[in-house]
Amino acid sequence: MHLRAFLISALRSVTTGERRYHLWMGTLTTIMLVGAYAYYTQVTQGFGVTGMNNHVSWGLYISNMAFLVGLAAAAVILVMPAYVLHDVDFSRAVLIAEGVAVSALVMCLAFVTANSPGLPFKWWRLTPVIGLLNWPSSMLAWDVIMLNGYLVFNLAIPLYILYNHFIGREPSKQSYVPFIYISVVWAVSIHLVTAFLFAGNPARPFWNSALLGPRFLASAFTAGPAFMILLLGFIQSQTRYPIPDVAIDKLATTTTVAAQVNLVMLLSELVTEFYTPTHHSDSARYLFFGLGEHHALVPWIRTGVALNILATTILMIHPLRHNRRWLMPACAILFIGIWVEKGIGLVIPGFIPSPLGEIVEYTPTWVELCLTAGIWALGLFVLTILVRVALPIELGEARSPHLTEREAAPIVRPRATRPKYPEIRPVRTR
Amino acid sequence: MSSDPTPETPETTEDGSLLQKPVDRRGALGLLLGGVATGVAAASACSPLSAATPEERELKRLEWEEFTQKHYRRMTEAERAETIARLERLAKLRHNEEATIATTDAQPGVLFGYAFNISKCKGYRRCVEACINENNLDRRSDTQYIRIFEMENGVVDLSDADPTYQHEVPAEGHFYLGTQCFQCADPPCVPVCPVGATWQEPDGIVVVDYNWCVGCRACMAACPYWARRFNWDEPEVPAEEVNPNQHYLGNRDRHKGCVEKCTFCIHRTRQGRLPACVEACPTGARVFGNLLDPNSEIRWILAHKPVFRLKEELATEPRFWYFAD
Amino acid sequence: MKSIRVSAAACLAIAFLASGCERRHVRWYELPPGTIEVPVDSATAARNAIREPGVLGTVETIPVVGWAGPDGQPFEVARRSAALEGGHARVFGTITLPVSLRAGAADLSQYPCTACHQGRKLVMEDQRIKDAHQNIHVVHPKQTGAHCATCHSADDVQQLALRSGEHSTLDESYRLCAQCHFEKVEAWAAGAHGKRLDGWQGRRVVMACPDCHDPHAPGLQPRVPFRAPQLERTKGLHP
Repeated sequence: MHLRAFLISALRSVTTGERRYHLWMGTLTTIMLVGAYAYYTQVTQGFGVTGMNNHVSWGLYISNMAFLVGLAAAAVILVMPAYVLHDVDFSRAVLIAEGVAVSALVMCLAFVTANSPGLPFKWWRLTPVIGLLNWPSSMLAWDVIMLNGYLVFNLAIPLYILYNHFIGREPSKQSYVPFIYISVVWAVSIHLVTAFLFAGNPARPFWNSALLGPRFLASAFTAGPAFMILLLGFIQSQTRYPIPDVAIDKLATTTTVAAQVNLVMLLSELVTEFYTPTHHSDSARYLFFGLGEHHALVPWIRTGVALNILATTILMIHPLRHNRRWLMPACAILFIGIWVEKGIGLVIPGFIPSPLGEIVEYTPTWVELCLTAGIWALGLFVLTILVRVALPIELGEARSPHLTEREAAPIVRPRATRPKYPEIRPVRTR
Repeated sequence: MSSDPTPETPETTEDGSLLQKPVDRRGALGLLLGGVATGVAAASACSPLSAATPEERELKRLEWEEFTQKHYRRMTEAERAETIARLERLAKLRHNEEATIATTDAQPGVLFGYAFNISKCKGYRRCVEACINENNLDRRSDTQYIRIFEMENGVVDLSDADPTYQHEVPAEGHFYLGTQCFQCADPPCVPVCPVGATWQEPDGIVVVDYNWCVGCRACMAACPYWARRFNWDEPEVPAEEVNPNQHYLGNRDRHKGCVEKCTFCIHRTRQGRLPACVEACPTGARVFGNLLDPNSEIRWILAHKPVFRLKEELATEPRFWYFAD
Repeated sequence: MKSIRVSAAACLAIAFLASGCERRHVRWYELPPGTIEVPVDSATAARNAIREPGVLGTVETIPVVGWAGPDGQPFEVARRSAALEGGHARVFGTITLPVSLRAGAADLSQYPCTACHQGRKLVMEDQRIKDAHQNIHVVHPKQTGAHCATCHSADDVQQLALRSGEHSTLDESYRLCAQCHFEKVEAWAAGAHGKRLDGWQGRRVVMACPDCHDPHAPGLQPRVPFRAPQLERTKGLHP
């Protein structure tokens, strides 16, 4: 009864809205349809329609997947303080973060499916009993488990909380907090496992570094909160949902620190590769300087690094970071810069030159570009739906019609008390 | 929500923006369902569910069985025989091919080893030609398992070598070195496969179950010797050039979306014959044999010639040695 | 007299044509199914070697004298080819590749040496002498002041003269080559030099020295290689 009401209410939230909302969803749907056509082309004609080849065997799809796993993992930035440290400021934003995680995971799984001709129909081969899941040897097998598990966590916990709020009940902390703890560790793990997928290949010296895992985490915790800031700012300005400014400020601080760490790691990598270049540095040389007449990625990576440095510099300046007119563009620039550095600037150079020293460059075709756009549109579509469902419930506007007068009264949540730590100087906010 | 009492769908909201005009829920749902219905109708009109010849129906049935077939290593003898019959029938239906697919297991007490004499190789690429023909490699993309590198005297460095030479060979001041899958004793490509579609057989050959492979290409990223190829498109071999003598784990018909590689001509070597590349080499630069036989030619070479392997530091233990006269 | 010559010519012609007809032999994969599905033993490998040497009908072999294989076991060397193409060829899938590196020598049975050389005497007409062996340009061995009789026995030109005074047949040329090229022949016997004709398993049949090296000019001539790989277009070669 309540469940049916919940679903109907969710459907209503998603299908009613202003014209600009429908225009947004319509645009996303159009892009998704273009992506679907590209996918159809790829499935029927074979992967020859993409730009990948025997030398560069992973391209745009895996690049985006690596980036988006980071985005999904970055939800932990909000989940951990909100649930574990009982930080009141993030309590409003954490459901949004979990929605971002879900949509990022959907995009990851979509990119993995787009990358393998055997998926999705041969997905059963990845299951343990009827198929053969090569766990624990294969990092991809680990990734399959981790991504799907994290998706389940990030769907189940918020849905549980939302459903309980919908029916006017306070969700039982004992039911979901243990899973929160697990999901915090899980979040870091999904990104480490994805990093190990690359780092565990001694055939690819560009990836085979201990720094790859930490670098993945640093860039994830840069791009993730940057995106969250953009999203929360949008929600703050365009809806009635109250996001405290201090939450955005804290996220901005996190992003800044992570961006600085990311730049330090980049410096470390540059010095390691170029102080005494060996043949193992050929891939890095291709990426940053080009090899012979092959230099397709050089403008990309230089732009990406420049954007990162610019955005980090802006964020490091306190007055600018607290000024929305500087913060938002800086976060957007940072997001794009990290996407270039981690997406294009990680996967493609690992294949150039090949293990036998041959150089074959990679240019994505329309199929890859359209399918990538379609999957990003899918992610934004899913995110919009989740936010559209969550916000009315959290605002108290959506309630089950089957509630009694008393149950329907707005929940007065006791103000979470700060944990009894020694006196800490409060964060200065403006 | 809106303070306007009368209109059902007001042109503008309080803010006055056109984009913020509310749309009726029923209208939205109706459009959505109408679109879905149109799509389904269009799709069903195109699907050939009705008209199908017996051959087409048989093909569909065999393709379904192929899709649901087990992992090769889990098959019983009866299932293997059934699979072979199906694959031979599919080769007939799809390409009008009379293939004989073997499932010969590894001979006990055999571990294959390969030696390549870089003094003798003159870069003729006869091995490449023989391999393409013997293994039914895709002609459209010119798939070649073997690469021959022209290297300058004095430097054994693949990054400076030229595999695309097209002039009279041997060229002055150069020597030639060939690569292919080395069937490593500790292959880095095997543990990375998420579905276990590639493994090492007891006689040392690293094989792929083409029907089980999902095409994720993690093994291609993991191979340090660039030994694996992917079928980006449906492979094409002219009917008159097809080698009908095939092995399930070797040179049978592959399809788009699976990984393949050199298998030391598993359909030949398990019958006691030499791989095509070894036989085709005019200079006798290639030597093949059983490493477990202390009296084999390959063992003699390992004992008496200075041998080296590529990327020894990666500890892959390739079973492919290079030596010079 | 004339009738004997005509019938002899007819017999030779028929024999030659018959040997040509015999060329279509059974490929081993055309055997009834199940024939190959047995563990390969020496007999089977031997049968395979004989069955499919390439375009030739059969490869005859003789045991190698004085050298043993890497396992200490005797091995066999292929006799000089009777085919016009010379050398040996192998079938891969549907193509046949010759594997010899030199042009084939004319078969002795076509025109025996004894037609002109009888012992140490030449019975050929004087004006034909300058036509004889004009296709042979000797560049090897050049450092040792060698001449024809260094290798070819003066008493019997169908035999090779070894330093010890012994003779060896033309099929046992390795005995002659080993006199100078000892290490190469040792490697050849062990399998590090030369080519093996049958499989890796069982009976060992190898090619003889002149199958690859023209004894008078053993150097390898440059060749045009098979097509190069197309690096930038590793897929989708457009028709």
